[in-house]
Amino acid sequence: MPFVMIGVALTFGIFLMRLFQLQIIRGDEYQIRSERNSVRTVRLEAARGEILDRERRLVASTRPAFGVEVIPNELHAPQRTYDALGELLGREVLDLQGVVGSPGGRRRFQPIALATDLSYEERARVESHRYALPGVFTTIRPRRYYEAGESAAHLLGFIGEIGAEQLGTRRFADYRAGEIVGKSGLEYVLESHLRGRAGGRNTIVDVAGREMEVLDEVRAVRGGTAVLTLDRELQAVAEQALATSTEGETRTGAVVAMDVKTGDLLALVSLPAFDPNSFAGGIDSKTWQALRDDPLEPLLNRAITGQYPPGSTYKAVVAAAALEEGLITPEEKIYCPGSFRLGRRTYRCWKRAGHGWVDLQRSLVESCDVYYYQAGLRLGVDRIAFFARAFSLGRLTGIPIPNEQPGLVPTTAWKERRFGEPWHKGETVSTSIGQGYNLMTPIQLAVIYAAIANGGALVEPRVVRRLETKDGALVREYPPVFRGTVPVRPENLQLVRDAMEGVVSAPNGTGSRARVPGVRVAGKTGTAQVVRLKDDDAEEVEIRREHRDHAWFVAYAPVEAPEIVVAVLVEHGGHGGATAGPVAQAVLAHYFASKVSDETVPVLERSAAVETVSVGGGDASH
Amino acid sequence: MLRIDRRLIQNFDWVLLGLMVILISMGIANLMSATHAQAGEGLAPEVRRQLLAVSLGSVGMLICLFVDYRILERLAMPFYFLSLALVGSTLFLAPVIHGSQSWLVFGPVRLQPAEVMKLGLVVALARSFHHQPAGELRLLRELWKPGLLLAAPVGMILLQRDMGVAVLTLLIGASYLPFARIQTRSWVAFGTAVIAALVALWNFGLESYQRGRILDFVDPARDPLASGYQAIQSTIAVGSGGFFGKGYLEGTQTQLRFLPTQHTDFAFSVLAEEWGFLGSAFTLLLYLLFLIWGLRIALHSKEGFGSVLAVGLVGALFWPAVINIAMVLGLAPVIGVPLPFFSYGGSSMLISMIAAGLLLNVSMRRYMF
Repeated sequence: MPFVMIGVALTFGIFLMRLFQLQIIRGDEYQIRSERNSVRTVRLEAARGEILDRERRLVASTRPAFGVEVIPNELHAPQRTYDALGELLGREVLDLQGVVGSPGGRRRFQPIALATDLSYEERARVESHRYALPGVFTTIRPRRYYEAGESAAHLLGFIGEIGAEQLGTRRFADYRAGEIVGKSGLEYVLESHLRGRAGGRNTIVDVAGREMEVLDEVRAVRGGTAVLTLDRELQAVAEQALATSTEGETRTGAVVAMDVKTGDLLALVSLPAFDPNSFAGGIDSKTWQALRDDPLEPLLNRAITGQYPPGSTYKAVVAAAALEEGLITPEEKIYCPGSFRLGRRTYRCWKRAGHGWVDLQRSLVESCDVYYYQAGLRLGVDRIAFFARAFSLGRLTGIPIPNEQPGLVPTTAWKERRFGEPWHKGETVSTSIGQGYNLMTPIQLAVIYAAIANGGALVEPRVVRRLETKDGALVREYPPVFRGTVPVRPENLQLVRDAMEGVVSAPNGTGSRARVPGVRVAGKTGTAQVVRLKDDDAEEVEIRREHRDHAWFVAYAPVEAPEIVVAVLVEHGGHGGATAGPVAQAVLAHYFASKVSDETVPVLERSAAVETVSVGGGDASH
Repeated sequence: MLRIDRRLIQNFDWVLLGLMVILISMGIANLMSATHAQAGEGLAPEVRRQLLAVSLGSVGMLICLFVDYRILERLAMPFYFLSLALVGSTLFLAPVIHGSQSWLVFGPVRLQPAEVMKLGLVVALARSFHHQPAGELRLLRELWKPGLLLAAPVGMILLQRDMGVAVLTLLIGASYLPFARIQTRSWVAFGTAVIAALVALWNFGLESYQRGRILDFVDPARDPLASGYQAIQSTIAVGSGGFFGKGYLEGTQTQLRFLPTQHTDFAFSVLAEEWGFLGSAFTLLLYLLFLIWGLRIALHSKEGFGSVLAVGLVGALFWPAVINIAMVLGLAPVIGVPLPFFSYGGSSMLISMIAAGLLLNVSMRRYMF
């Protein structure tokens, strides 16, 4: 009997020692573990900062998105819950089950999103049945909202979950997996300003994950505001004009509208576009695939990434160069018989019948090719290249949007390097009318013509005017940036400008479709050859779309004191004046109309007088 | 018939009763905390039911006190077979709850025949050992009769798939062994048989979830969110209590219901979390004192049957307490065994109180022979 008593006492002695070990030796450790058990830290996502246009109209904002989540471990009667949810949300029960699946291990305790963007009514329905649906939770998360859908999609860019490859980099050092970041466009560039600061909330939860009590909370701080140079309305007008410039076909191309003095981008259009809202809640792989695989490449920002031969828009540069070098004078006339012979090859002018005797003014107004073949040969390719570079071709304009392309300015050295072959004179001929190896982006065209229009200053395209805190206090202002002046004397630029007004206003000008009643508009048409057609006699309509030439048009106005430059590219649009001209016209018309209404000056009588003049003129291009 | 002898009152064992009353009171207070989260204001239904069980238990105890325990020697076998029949009937009548059939349901009353069986077994074994001539060494094979008495209920409970209770019943029956004066070679043979039986049980007798529970005990981190979860949460609850505890109703593990079955099997975790080392060591000492006191009653009883019966009764309270506390402290696998006087559960409370009543009965009649 005493042995048994000792045995019993020993057993309890072991228990006491175990209690001592757990509660006294390791008590602190278990204390921490019990706190971690019951305290849940919830991340409060910050709303992204607002993006406003130049008139402080909302372009991109953040709105609350209501979602439904389930924690699989806490579904007491999964089937009943799915049935009920299916009915409340109007979704297929099998669908819901498929999303949740049957996770095992730790994943059973992690919430799975069943819906991320419920309507207010749907959310209210779920919320009112929550107590009958254990394991089901509703969530509110801030969600990016682009006010005008596809409008300015390429400029604004889109957001998405941070990529695995980005997570390790310095730029994203303080980001965590699953966080939303700007993926392209301004969302990418202004990421650090727009991001805001996520908050957190420590709540005591019970074993079912229900929040019992809030311990402390750090509110999320919305990201800063960005005020753009963009004009939301003008952007929409430009998009509309480009999209409808030809009926029945998906219009692809770009429009850049810019303030010639400051470089402020008023509109930056690239078509086809995409709806960045479809990325805001995490894009599904099907939509993403479709966007990526679309042969029309809607994700491509054609305005800054698309490189095309400049075509005849290049003639203004060649003319300025030849004038500056004293190789032509305004009065000199060159004979155009409709073609030009160099060695064994014949180079045609677009006008088969020829222009006859052509001076500088006519050469630009009617876009005579032969005149520029001659001028180009006098200059030589390397001197053309010098001026082209001076006008900012072949290098980035500095627009603060990723993926800008520099275009290409060919030189003899370049060709030697690239192909290991010497330069042929015939290549100078095609180079001088902007064909051949030349490549240019629409934004570059706008910068070149802004310099011509403003007297030679090269502006850097400006997209962001100022950054503000969420409460509107100034964080940073972006003054206009000038990158020097073109090496062309003002009187020579004036000669070019004079000619370009004729392009639009002269009866035989190629850009007559860009006339705006009441405003003096100057411009230049262009056609970028896609393929060199063997048979020039082929009828336009028979050429397959992808082989059709790209149409350029660039215009600035008003001539007497230029304010705005508009560069238009219509892919496969054929002749520049016919398809691209009306787009520029629409943008200019809107710009001056809204300017007039802003200044509340009645000009109806004035514009009515000029309206009758805008008929006729050469519809032909170049 | 119920003649109260003055000596009975003089010899009444106030210490044992006092210890029991303290334990039961603490158990009720603890139950109120364990069910506090659900109940909010007022008493949880579990507390009401537990109080009812305590009242019934008191009535049972009183009856036990007034009747001379020796009457049990005559009633032993009928009582044994009655409880065996109750256990057997669960195989046909009882619904399956948590994978085992161990409850008989009569309207609002749920009876656990295995609890009754404990008492029936203890009484029958006491009778059996009392009949054996004492004093000389015995061979194992001479124990076939008590062995059979033990094997029948254990086998039946195994058929109900209630491993924990089967082991518990086996251990209670084995409580008599140290007093049975058995030869050493018999012990060796017995030990070999037990090991063989355990190996066979592991391979053929256990459901995979039961094997899982044992593996979880060996390595609780095996799957921290499955069955090892209970053991880990319990250890966290106990450990986080520290020296002074988190305070009554302040245990986060308890109040936020991280503890599984915290009002029944893990009642002691609740106590350890809220009252710390101070409270739980005090409670352990109370149990120890109670059990030693019980053994002292066996030692001091001048009458053979009473002495043997007291040993069995102490065993019937010792083993569930040990298994439960060891489980709560992470020293034993998770086995659904309630802590006597403490855990929520009417059957357990009733039977534990009756066992205490019988101990008191033996104690106060110790000088009468």
